[in-house]
Order: sequence, then C-alpha cells, then structure tokens
Amino acid sequence: MIVFNCFLRMIKRNCGILILYFSIFLTICISIQLMTNGKGMGNFEEERLNIAVIDQDGGTLAKELRAYLGQRHHLVKISDDPKTIQEELFYRNIYYVATIPADFEQRCLVQGEKLKTIRVPGTTSAFYVDQQINQFLNQVKVLKAAGYPDSEIYQKIEIIEQAQPDVALLDQNGHGGVKAPHVFMFQFMPYIVFSIICYVISYIMIEFRKKPVRRRMICSAMPPIRQNTQLFLGYLVLGIGVWALCMLLPVLLYGKDFLSDANKFLYMANVFALTLVSLAVSFTVGTVIRKPEIVSSVVNVLSLGMSFLCGVFVSMDVLGKGVQTAAQFLPFYWYEIVNEILAMHTNFTSEQWLEIGKGLGIQLLFAAAILCVGTMADQYMTKQ
Amino acid sequence: MIQIQNLVKRYGSLLALDHLNLSIQEGEIFGLLGPNGSGKTTAINCLLALLKYDKGSVTIMGKPMKPDSYEIKREIGVVMQEVAVFDQMTVRENIDYFCGLYIREKSRRKKLVEEAIEFVGLEDYTKTRPGKLSGGLQRRLNIACGIVHRPKLIILDEPTVAVDPQSRNRILEGIQELNRQGSTIIYTSHYMEEVEQICSRIAIIDHGRVLASGTKEELKNMIKTGETITIEAVALEPEYLADIRGLSHVFDVSYKDQVLVIRCSKAKHNLVSVLNYLREKDIAFGKVFSELPTLNDVFLEITGKALRD
Repeated sequence: MIVFNCFLRMIKRNCGILILYFSIFLTICISIQLMTNGKGMGNFEEERLNIAVIDQDGGTLAKELRAYLGQRHHLVKISDDPKTIQEELFYRNIYYVATIPADFEQRCLVQGEKLKTIRVPGTTSAFYVDQQINQFLNQVKVLKAAGYPDSEIYQKIEIIEQAQPDVALLDQNGHGGVKAPHVFMFQFMPYIVFSIICYVISYIMIEFRKKPVRRRMICSAMPPIRQNTQLFLGYLVLGIGVWALCMLLPVLLYGKDFLSDANKFLYMANVFALTLVSLAVSFTVGTVIRKPEIVSSVVNVLSLGMSFLCGVFVSMDVLGKGVQTAAQFLPFYWYEIVNEILAMHTNFTSEQWLEIGKGLGIQLLFAAAILCVGTMADQYMTKQ
Repeated sequence: MIQIQNLVKRYGSLLALDHLNLSIQEGEIFGLLGPNGSGKTTAINCLLALLKYDKGSVTIMGKPMKPDSYEIKREIGVVMQEVAVFDQMTVRENIDYFCGLYIREKSRRKKLVEEAIEFVGLEDYTKTRPGKLSGGLQRRLNIACGIVHRPKLIILDEPTVAVDPQSRNRILEGIQELNRQGSTIIYTSHYMEEVEQICSRIAIIDHGRVLASGTKEELKNMIKTGETITIEAVALEPEYLADIRGLSHVFDVSYKDQVLVIRCSKAKHNLVSVLNYLREKDIAFGKVFSELPTLNDVFLEITGKALRD
C-alpha cells in the first residue's frame, strides 16, 4: 500500500489548508449562532427618527397628525426657515421635515395634494415616515367617509394603531416554524467541503501527475491499476474524513439540537453526495492543472462562483429567476434545494420526497459525469 | 542481456529511430553517445516500453519487453533525465516510496533505503524536501530513487545534466561502483568525456541510427585521426598552410582565430616535424599541444560535425 501511504502522508502535509478552512467556517458558524441566539429571528423593533413638523395650518387635523407622528418619532422644534432646515438636515439633527400647509384638510384630504416633505438624501427610514403619514390620512379619509364625527375619528385611529397582529408560525420542522441554527451551517457547508477537498486533492494529484514521476511510476514493477486503486482509496479516505469532520461540527456546536433533528441522516446523506461531487471535481482539476500556483485561483473561482450562484452565501429566495435557472446546471444548487426542504419540514409529502431524491440523484449524476470527464482527461494526458 | 533489433519509431513524419540495433552484455557499462535529438531518450523509452514503436523488437534478459512485463521491470532501475520526485515528501520518504514500488517488505526496504542514502551521500538531508536541495543533490536523490531496490539493470538517461563538477564526479564514481557491485548499466549522455571516463562499450548514435559501436579504443581505431596538434600562431600566410598540409601523415589543416589545428594519422614524430617546419620558416608561435583522438573526433569524422553542434 505504498501509494496509499504516500497519499496519506501528503494529506498530512496539506493539513494546514484543512485547519484554516475549518477555523474560518467555525468562526462564521459561531458568529451566526451568537447573532441569532434567542432573539433576532422573531423580533422587530421600530426605529424612532428625529423629525420636524412645521404646522402652517393649525387646524385639528394638523394637530392630530403632529401628535400621531410624535408618538412614533422624536419631534424636534425648528423655525420655518429654509436655511435653518437645510442646516439641521446637513448636520443630521433631523432626518425628515414635513410641512403642513394652510387649509390642510381641504388641500390634502379632499383634493389629494401631497404633503411637502424634505428628507436627508439617501435615507430609507424617511420612506416609512411617508408611509405613516399616508396611512394616517387614508384612515381619516375612510372614517370620514364612513360618517364618523371628528371627535371619534382620532380615537378610532389610535385604537386601530395600537392593535397588534397575532402571528403564529406554522411549525413544520420542529423548531417553531423558524430555521434551526444548524440549518445555516449546512447551508454554508458546500463551500467548506468543496474547498478543502479540491485544494488538498489537487495539490496531491499535481504531484502524482508530474510527467517525470508518472513515467517513473509506469516503469516500476507495480501495475498502474494497483497504483490507481490505491490512489482512489486515498481519495475516498480523504472524502470520508472531511465528511466525518463536517458531521462532527454540528454535533459539537449545536449538540442535542442537531441530534434530535429528525432529518439528521438526510442532512448527512446530502453532504455525502456533495462530498462525492467535490472528489470528482478535484480529480478533474488535479488532472488538468499542472502548476500548483494555479490551483488556488481555479478552486476559488469554482467554489465562490458556485456558492454565490447557488444560494450558499445568500438565501436562494434573494436570487433572481435567471440566476436560479443557470444555477440548475451546478451541483451546489441541488444540494441547497434538498437543504431547504430539510430545513422547513420533518414530515414530507410524496412530492417533497421526490424532490429530495431528485436533488441527491442529480448530485450523484454530476459526480459521475465529472469523474468521466476527469478520467478521459487523465487518459489523454497519459497518452501525451 | 539486452537485444534491440531493427527498432523503428516515427513521430509523424519524423523518423526518431531508424532501424536501431544494439546488443548489451551483462556486467558492462554501455554508453549511448549522441547529440541532443539524436534518439537516445526515444531509444530508452522504447526499451522501457514507455513508447510504442513501429517496428523491431526489444528483448531484456531473454524475454520480450512489454508494458506489462513486471517481472523484467522488477530488475530494472531507471534514472530519468528530469528529477522524478515528490516535492511534498522528504528525501527519505521519496526514496522509500520508490523502493516500495518494487519491495513490499518493510524491514528490507528500510535497510535498502539507508544504503541508498549512504551511497549517494545524502545522510545530512534525509528530512529535507527536494525543493530545498541544490541541483546536484536533487540529481543524487533522483539516482537514489532509481537504484534503491538494487536492480540488475540500471538505465541512466543523462543523469548529470545541469550538475556542478563536484556532484558530477560523485555521480560518475557512484555509477562505476554500482557496476562493480554487479549491475549492468546503460548510460546516455551527450558529454563525451563522461562516456569516455566510465563506459566499457559505447554506441554513437545520430538521427536514430547507430553510427559506430565498440570500446573507446575500437572506436578511435576506426578513424583516420591519430593525433590532433593545436598551435597558437599569428597571421599565417596561406602558402604556409599549404606547406603544412603537404607534410607527411598530415591530412587536415584548419586555421581559425589565430589557432592552427592539424590532424595527423597515427605516426611517430608528427609534432616534431610540424615544429621543425615552423622553425625553418621562422614562424612565431605560442601555446602548442598535442592530443590523442577523442570520441568527439570519432563523431566528427563519421558525421562531419562536432558532437555539440
């Protein structure tokens, strides 16, 4: 087993890459865990801005609007002078200025004229103040049309605004309807598995595929089939090793949470399928590339490219339709599809089982196809 | 031990080996001498079944050599022209790896690895990676990897290319030692001095053909040149050159860059008669030296060009 032992020895030499990637991955996972731990996912906090309301009307509606905004923001008093307004906005003492014109009710409520507003350029928060003003005016309009007297209108609005919607998340995955923390770890896992396997195997393959070494090995008394079998065994050991380490991470970080997940074996199967894809890609990359200096750029392009396109770094919901269509031709996409289903459900419908099977199957097909390409490239190089 | 008969190898329209015939006996150091591109490495590759040839046959130890002749391959050690080692492994690990391709038994392998390290003098570098060794030390490592399993036949393809003189001498001494220990050696080179120094029999090849073969004495006896006289002389008139050409036993005279080269057939007092002529004509001259024919002369006379042209 000299070739196999040599392969293992070289894996040991490349342990640095393995440790580096695992450290980065662990840091990211722990940070996400800390950020999402106990809060964040289900909580929402309203932002209160410093705003100014210049009342040129002085009527009831204007006063009520002022009071309405005052409940939601910090009202800052400023004089109705353009220079002062500009200065206050420039120094960010205020972010939004609404000017209520004279004859406000007639102009804005009846005639539908828009309120004159000034805001700090580029601020998104001001958009919500716009919405709040529109909402207030719409409510007044509706209640007036419904025949409510002025004295009741503002009380009604207050009651409506104070009402809190009761949202109950449908619990389909045993985590109260939200994603379990280890889901995020599995979402990022393709990047780490792929990068580690590709780096380590490509560097080792380059060593074994160097022309003089290859010729020297063909001259030896060991048949090439035995050499290749031992190399193949080496790939498998590395693949299984990386897979096992990756499976250990959620156990260490999330413990019971992961172990009690009904889908844990499916998660493991999904990562294993991806490990096979990574092994096939790394074999091909290592066969085609001759210089170790190029490995880094090729692996980065492949791993980062697929990660960004296939929803590893950002959720797939955020990706455009065109991107998602293109991503279907990449193995990471199918991994993430399976991961998404596993994240949101524990009891699967037949369609979901089909989707999971399809995702895993396509990954295996990718592995087989890429391996075929790699083998053909290898044979071509040998003939050369 | 090795019989190569009528070997023909073509690379497209290029004829790399043109009915090459070689016979190598057990226990000899056989030199394959030829300029770059003469077909030495192609011949070695065909011999090792690394290349398919178009015609002819190769027999090693009485058996035809094929890609799957592992029993024969077990007895062959190969030292390639390029250093064939793993950069990510140390000197000892490399030698052990290549030994392991032939020998499974761990304890025996360990002993052989130690012997090979000692043989090439890399004791101080066993834990060093090849990339940190000098060119000469890398070549020594390459040799250690090729000979570690104690093969009966060792093929060395230009093992001293780009090696410093000190390492080169060490390598050449090592090859002679391996031969004394019982290995048959095939040594290819375009350095005639090396071939002349260590080989018991030599084949000169060019354009994929054996031009001449035999011991160095036999080869030198094949040619007309018995002595080459070189004299530094300034501004010689053409009439003097004609006179010198007319001296007995002189068959070729050339004069270039103030250096007069006179080739003479084997005879006594060639140098004396040339110097007498120069004295008679009162021609001033500087350095004078006389050499017996070299393999370069043999190559020059057979092909009309120098080995390193």
